[in-house]
Amino acid sequence: MKTKYMNPYLAGVLLGLVLLSAFYFSGRGLGASGAVKSVVVTTVDAVAPEHAGGSGFYSKYLKDGKNPLNSWLVYEILGVLVGGFLSGAVAGRLKFKIEHSPKITSKKRLILAGMGGILFGFGSQLGRGCTSGSALTGMAVLSLAGFVTMMAIFGTAFALAYFFRKNWI
Amino acid sequence: MTPRLRLTSIVIILGMIIAFVPENTTKPYKLTASELLEEVQYGTEMVSPDDLAEWLINNDPSIQLIDIRTPNEYEQFHLDNAMNIPLSQLLDEEWIDYLDQGIMMNIFYSNGTTLSHEAWMITRQLGYENNYVLQGGLNYWTETILNPSAPALTSPDDEIAKYTFRKGASQYFGGGSLTQSTAATKSKASKPKIKRKKKKKAPDGGC
Amino acid sequence: MGPLIPQEIIGEGWNFFIAFAVGIGFGFVLEQAGFSSSRKLAGVFYGYDAVVLKVFFTAAVTGMLGLLYFSLFDWIDLNLVWVNPTFLWSAIVGGVIMGAGFIIGGFCPGTSVCAAAIGKIDAMVFVGGIFIGIFAFAEMFPILKKFYMSNYLGQVKLSEVLGISQGALAFFVILAAIGMFWVAEIAEKKFPKEEY
Repeated sequence: MKTKYMNPYLAGVLLGLVLLSAFYFSGRGLGASGAVKSVVVTTVDAVAPEHAGGSGFYSKYLKDGKNPLNSWLVYEILGVLVGGFLSGAVAGRLKFKIEHSPKITSKKRLILAGMGGILFGFGSQLGRGCTSGSALTGMAVLSLAGFVTMMAIFGTAFALAYFFRKNWI
Repeated sequence: MTPRLRLTSIVIILGMIIAFVPENTTKPYKLTASELLEEVQYGTEMVSPDDLAEWLINNDPSIQLIDIRTPNEYEQFHLDNAMNIPLSQLLDEEWIDYLDQGIMMNIFYSNGTTLSHEAWMITRQLGYENNYVLQGGLNYWTETILNPSAPALTSPDDEIAKYTFRKGASQYFGGGSLTQSTAATKSKASKPKIKRKKKKKAPDGGC
Repeated sequence: MGPLIPQEIIGEGWNFFIAFAVGIGFGFVLEQAGFSSSRKLAGVFYGYDAVVLKVFFTAAVTGMLGLLYFSLFDWIDLNLVWVNPTFLWSAIVGGVIMGAGFIIGGFCPGTSVCAAAIGKIDAMVFVGGIFIGIFAFAEMFPILKKFYMSNYLGQVKLSEVLGISQGALAFFVILAAIGMFWVAEIAEKKFPKEEY
């Protein structure tokens, strides 16, 4: 069957080259959850500045009046939005839709997506980075944390796959 | 051969090569030319003989004198407690722990300042900190500390005070003529702060 | 030589521009590989579509080999490349929570942003979920702090832990990746595959 997507190995090599260029230019790898964290910190700072200044978590990112939105990862994620959109446009995949297995309803899919997001957001902070920031980048620099996080993520997902099979197949 | 087999074999070969070549351990230069120029211009690497004399008299434990001349010259004369690292052996493995550390303040000296300055430049370029150069070298040390010449009577007070101190120091180091002199006035020489070795500077990361 | 910005070979002002450009590449490749579809992503856990495994490990191997060769040729100073610090317990527990999030939500943060860009509503909800999750963590930070900081091992590399050279570790990772690709391709043949 003809696939509409790029050969995964080719895509992997290209992704590796993107990662390598991030290392070569900026000395750091890719990331994603860090950008959302910047948005969270900014939002809390705007809504409840006293609360933000007093908490050990937010104040770390609000030092010397710096705007947390003015960070490498935020610009990178804006780029991801643009890049994803461009690719979708080229391939004709731009369409509002909720993708789910025929066995579940759209509503259930959205609830599950939201729950998954919450877990991922929480876990990414505890694990100091998500799949891209900790696992992929960490593995490329051979960091112990990268391998540990990668195995924990994929291991857990495999272990739990059976219980959630109805949502996907 | 299918493309995927070809890709697989290329990656395996690349992996085998990287597994067997020795790792690149060359230490990169840490200072740009302009940074070095700035340090030289401000003379931050210089230690004056007067300061050194005072630290030695006070038995400052963090001072390490390093004689940069040949072993021969070192044998003939060297300052007390100085160790000998000839310039030609500066980069030998055995000295790296002395030169690249964050505890002692190393002071290079030679007869003049040419050799000691060369040694300082090289170590500084390697990113080592806490290495300094004795201003004027041994020649100037003899001239100012061991055989100080009296300033004219019309000299300003601090010149006279300096002379008195040098006279005292001279006695301490056993040079010059023995003349009675009052105890050296204590002028606290300020010592450059020893920089603790920092962890490598890396850009902030994290996801 | 590199990394160019920490070495001040190109100005700091370019950093955000490069971040944006790198992001475009990142997003484009993710979308092209099919990472904008949660059912395709989840396929790896049921054996019907191993695209995640293939792309992820090919990218990690490429980046790894690239860094080691760049370092060998003196094009990059690995001392200036960020190595994420290892806090063992929080890395494991964080990874377990993320794994659960992955199988339940079907995305990871990077892929969800990419999928949201082409109009996947479930992905947008997922991004909203990440927002809430991070907020929850931030609010609970005082309680979690001790655990978060526990078992700190430094910015340590796996090769140092195993006591082998970085190149040798890379070689083993390559062999492991090829082994996994082989298994994955067998699984893909065994389980019926659909295109999403």
